[in-house]
Amino acid sequence: MAVSRREMFRRSALQVGTLGSTLSLSQCLRAEAEHGNRSERSAVFVFLGGGPAHQDTFDLKPDAPAEYRGQFRPIQTSAAGVEICEHLPRLARRADRYALIRGITHSLADHGLGTRYVMTGNLPTPVISYPMFGCVVSKELPAAADLPSFVSIDRPVEGPGYLGPEFGPLSTGEKPRFGQPFRVRGITLDDTLTLGKYRSRFQLRNDLDIAFDQYEQLDEAVRGLDRFSEQAYQIISSVRSREAFDLTLESGREVDRFGRHDFGQSMLLATRLIEAGVRFVTVLLEGWDTHQDNFNTLGRQLLPDLDQSLSAMMDRLGEAGRMESTAILVTGEFGRTPKVNGNAGRDHWSRAMSSLMLGGSVRGGQVLGATDARAEGPADQGYTPDDLAASFLQNIGIDPQTEYQASVGRPITLIRNGEPIAGLL
Amino acid sequence: MMCSLPVQSFRYPESVAGLRQRLRYLLRCVIVCGVCLPVSAAAEDVQRSVELRYAEPGTGEVPDFQKHVSPLLGRVGCNGRNCHGSFQGKGGLRLSLFGYDFQMDLQGLAADAQSRAGKRIDRQHPQQSLILQKPLEQVDHEGGQRFAVGSWQQHLLLSWIEGGARGTSQPAVLQELRVEPAEIVFAAADAVVPLRVTAVWSDGEQEDVTPLCRFRTNDDSVATVSEDGVVSTVGPGDTHIITFYDNGILAVPVLRPFPSAAAGLIANDAAPDRPQEPSAEIDRLIMQKLAKLNLPVSPVCSDAEFLRRASLDLTGTLPSPTEVQEFLNDPGLDRRERKVDELLQRPAWAAWWATRLCDFTGCNPAQQAELGQEVSVQWYTWFYERLRQNRPYDEIVSGVVLARSREAGQSWLDYTAEMSAAYRDQEASAFSDRETMPHYWTRRSMQKPDAAAQAFAQNFLGIRLQCAECHKHPFAPWTQGDYQEFARFFETLRYGVAPDARGEYQRLASATGVRSNGDDGGPVTPEVLRRARQGEIIPWRELYLTDRESSRTVRLLRSRDVVLQGSADPREPIMEWMLEEQNPWFVRAFVNRVWASCFHVGLVDPPDDLNPANPPSNEALLSWLEQFFRENRMDIRSLQRAIVLSETWQRSWKPVAGNAADDRNFSRMIPRRMPAEVIYDSVKQAVAASDRTDEVRTDLDRRATGHLSMRLAGTYAMQVFGKPERAVNCDCERDNKSTLLQTVFLQNDPLLIDRLLESGWLAELQGRDSVTDYPGLIQEAWLRTLSRPPSASEQQRALEHMQSAGNPTEGLRDLLWALINTKEFLLIH
Repeated sequence: MAVSRREMFRRSALQVGTLGSTLSLSQCLRAEAEHGNRSERSAVFVFLGGGPAHQDTFDLKPDAPAEYRGQFRPIQTSAAGVEICEHLPRLARRADRYALIRGITHSLADHGLGTRYVMTGNLPTPVISYPMFGCVVSKELPAAADLPSFVSIDRPVEGPGYLGPEFGPLSTGEKPRFGQPFRVRGITLDDTLTLGKYRSRFQLRNDLDIAFDQYEQLDEAVRGLDRFSEQAYQIISSVRSREAFDLTLESGREVDRFGRHDFGQSMLLATRLIEAGVRFVTVLLEGWDTHQDNFNTLGRQLLPDLDQSLSAMMDRLGEAGRMESTAILVTGEFGRTPKVNGNAGRDHWSRAMSSLMLGGSVRGGQVLGATDARAEGPADQGYTPDDLAASFLQNIGIDPQTEYQASVGRPITLIRNGEPIAGLL
Repeated sequence: MMCSLPVQSFRYPESVAGLRQRLRYLLRCVIVCGVCLPVSAAAEDVQRSVELRYAEPGTGEVPDFQKHVSPLLGRVGCNGRNCHGSFQGKGGLRLSLFGYDFQMDLQGLAADAQSRAGKRIDRQHPQQSLILQKPLEQVDHEGGQRFAVGSWQQHLLLSWIEGGARGTSQPAVLQELRVEPAEIVFAAADAVVPLRVTAVWSDGEQEDVTPLCRFRTNDDSVATVSEDGVVSTVGPGDTHIITFYDNGILAVPVLRPFPSAAAGLIANDAAPDRPQEPSAEIDRLIMQKLAKLNLPVSPVCSDAEFLRRASLDLTGTLPSPTEVQEFLNDPGLDRRERKVDELLQRPAWAAWWATRLCDFTGCNPAQQAELGQEVSVQWYTWFYERLRQNRPYDEIVSGVVLARSREAGQSWLDYTAEMSAAYRDQEASAFSDRETMPHYWTRRSMQKPDAAAQAFAQNFLGIRLQCAECHKHPFAPWTQGDYQEFARFFETLRYGVAPDARGEYQRLASATGVRSNGDDGGPVTPEVLRRARQGEIIPWRELYLTDRESSRTVRLLRSRDVVLQGSADPREPIMEWMLEEQNPWFVRAFVNRVWASCFHVGLVDPPDDLNPANPPSNEALLSWLEQFFRENRMDIRSLQRAIVLSETWQRSWKPVAGNAADDRNFSRMIPRRMPAEVIYDSVKQAVAASDRTDEVRTDLDRRATGHLSMRLAGTYAMQVFGKPERAVNCDCERDNKSTLLQTVFLQNDPLLIDRLLESGWLAELQGRDSVTDYPGLIQEAWLRTLSRPPSASEQQRALEHMQSAGNPTEGLRDLLWALINTKEFLLIH
């Protein structure tokens, strides 16, 4: 029997909230052949908030005049001809596993707008809010019923936009800190609400929630609350989900490998979540907004932390054979000014930035794109955040040209102006 | 150059096949559905359709680009979004999306194709033209075959090429589209009705354009329409078939009654002898439609449901336990009316509506020109004060639309002193006393004229212009030209330093540490604001108008020409136009939003998308509400009073036999989730100490539905429950759908768990030596959350839990958790 539109709407509202086409069958098959079962696909977004100085991290210019090149020296990596900053020795040894993308360029040198652009792959506009990658993944590749699809460690970054709050992230509310108990907002049960008490409360609630008996299927609002109450219960009471968030189950050796700092613990948590079956995790490493004291901030803290934890994540996912099914993007929202300022800092600069991509089908050991001699802008036409987004989504197995029917009343292409970067995947 | 078409009138010798087909339709219609095609009296003057005129090749008639060729391309799908209408084009050919850019389309068609197969238009060998060979699939065409060899489509395109393939330089004006029948009522499941569409041009020429139209159904579970405009019924219900041709859009209502007339349906659709109560008139117009659909109505809800629903919809607040008991014990027959009148007078009513007006006008702390929080609070409070005094809607809107920073005759120094003083005493009222509210215009998202045009149209007129930024609006008459002209109205507005104030501004700026960017001035930072709070005068930028160098005449959204010149305020003609009786949008958009705020949908839905392809579910009612609102001097309270005192609004959500499938004609109330702010406040209220239950309800400073609205914007709880960020021009930003994160929040978020742990009410019990009155406590838990007493079986279940909990306080805490997590609590029902 043909399904009426109204019925379709009900069903889809029940399942996904908005109508949208996904990959065509052939694309699906191709994607599956490329990196294993779609149902195991996942992704991590490491956000270097504040705008890392590209010329002091992954795009050094040792031949530029002193006021441009800064204090750091480049070192050779395991990829022939590829050099990165001396404070990233572990990443240098693993350069065959990731691709560096240089010369990404845009024009929004404002933290809010730049972040929004880089995290959605669409130039921000007052007409519509675009969804962050994780929300798209949440919609296209939902996790098992007792797991959240999308977890933001610490606070949420960019929302679901036109996809609707249904696809927003579960944010942990705080970041795991070494040596301190970690509570995940909404998930952790403790003395104030034990598992037994929670179960008994939920039973009581089910017994009392009878006003809509016999009419459970009639209205969307009723159906939605029933469905999501049950799912929340499954997640909160599930052993698997609680253990995924529980860092005390990690050995001291693993904790050390990722690093006894906030970022290390966040990366360890992200890895556990991916291993458990969560689809998308965001991790924040902030503090890159170095208008002053750029070299001490980067050299003493941010770069060593990034070096250790990202390397550990690579190693662990590699050991578990999960690198091919996990797409990872590491990026900030823009780069920093070519010239060092009077406070040994660098200011906002969106004409050039670098990103790092690995996992999935990324061809490691290569650099794509380049900046000019002083890292002021791309050497050629460069890449846009749209291209970066299209590449990332493609690597996750989501067609960047997917079209959604947004609530503003017109179809919207997921990434309208970007193309996956040639040669990357 | 315009391509002229010989005006001929034909007497129909219809092709035999066509005639037979038409007759068959006609017979079926007459027999099974009782709809007669009204025979047009002027049928003779109507030129017959291209389908008949081009049935045979070589007619000698040259078709017109605008009237025939362009619509044909649309009809066979060439300019669709996935074909040549996409912004990249397809196969090298790009046409304007949805047509109506005749120059661009002709250029596209006439340009050299990259293909080796030949020219798109080959004047020497018209048959060889790619624009014929492709759609005939005589050469490879990704879009496949669009029409057949020997078809009228082929003959028409060929005749056009043979006639010189001329374009349209000055588009003809389509005066009207007529569709027959004007309304379709299906009586049987297998009935089909063909539509016949006549185009009437401004020069009086008329043509049957049925084969050149595009058709769309608004609900294919009710009716479908074929490419040729033949309407079939699918299921009971009502919808519209939309017809598109040239710049015209017409909606034909289609209705198929539900099968059985159930008992309980009393449709009194006779016009009353004497003026009725407004709420009775609403019911009459609703019943009139329901009678047509054969839909029975659910009975009016119980008193407890009424009180809860009215409190939530009117004031965003749950009733208190005492209020529930008093209302349920009130024997007065007019108790519902009295309650509504009382609710409308509460400050919470004004607060909840101020929040809505902030939604509609886009008050977003992240987009203010400076001091996001402070400015947003002023914006909210300015609305709140006017709503509290029940000022008319048009007066409130005028204060926004015509806003200036300086009041008439005020010097800049006086203005900046006044603004500074408004912060000194932390007294928001100083700003609210201003006649106008300039923040609407000064926010960053309004700085570009085209962005302002889009926002304004959506905010006050319920029109979405953004489509026309890139192409002709697909469902509305708006062209890119209309949009660009409307944007011109906003191009002389500035937020900065007016020429007469520059010296004084710079002096104050350097004295107070404002970083001024030349004549643009600079934002007041929190540090500078601190000086104002300490009594200093600080320099404020102002909203002012620059002079136009030359005057220009622009069209105001297709309504009239307006001359913009000199320093005249271009917003004035817009406001005047909005206030006119004939304005089709201003009042309609607002009364529809008021309706939507009381039900699960607007009469037009989405409520901010008024366009001819999105007609109201009940035109008679929407027109009546408009008229009522105008006659009552745009008094929002009277309008909402009329709505909530109608039986329609008071209906139970429980369906009766026969109306369960109705989701758009209001035969029952459809449950909705409480909005973000209301859930937040309701949870707080449910757990509050007994002596504070009134305070948490009435202290607006501490309510999310009240003055806390801005401070809470963007917090986790508000995001999870869909409070709008107000970053885009769309009412859809407020999202009342349910999500997983919401239920996770309600079950285990620290905010909720802490509310229960810190419950003032439970703390009172802990202090007592022995708690014995379990039934009384259980009853109160129900009154606090579900606003009704528990049933006997509910009481029993709760009692069991209390007794097994060991500790009455803990048992009650569990009970509150369970009740807050019920659908009955979370839904407005």
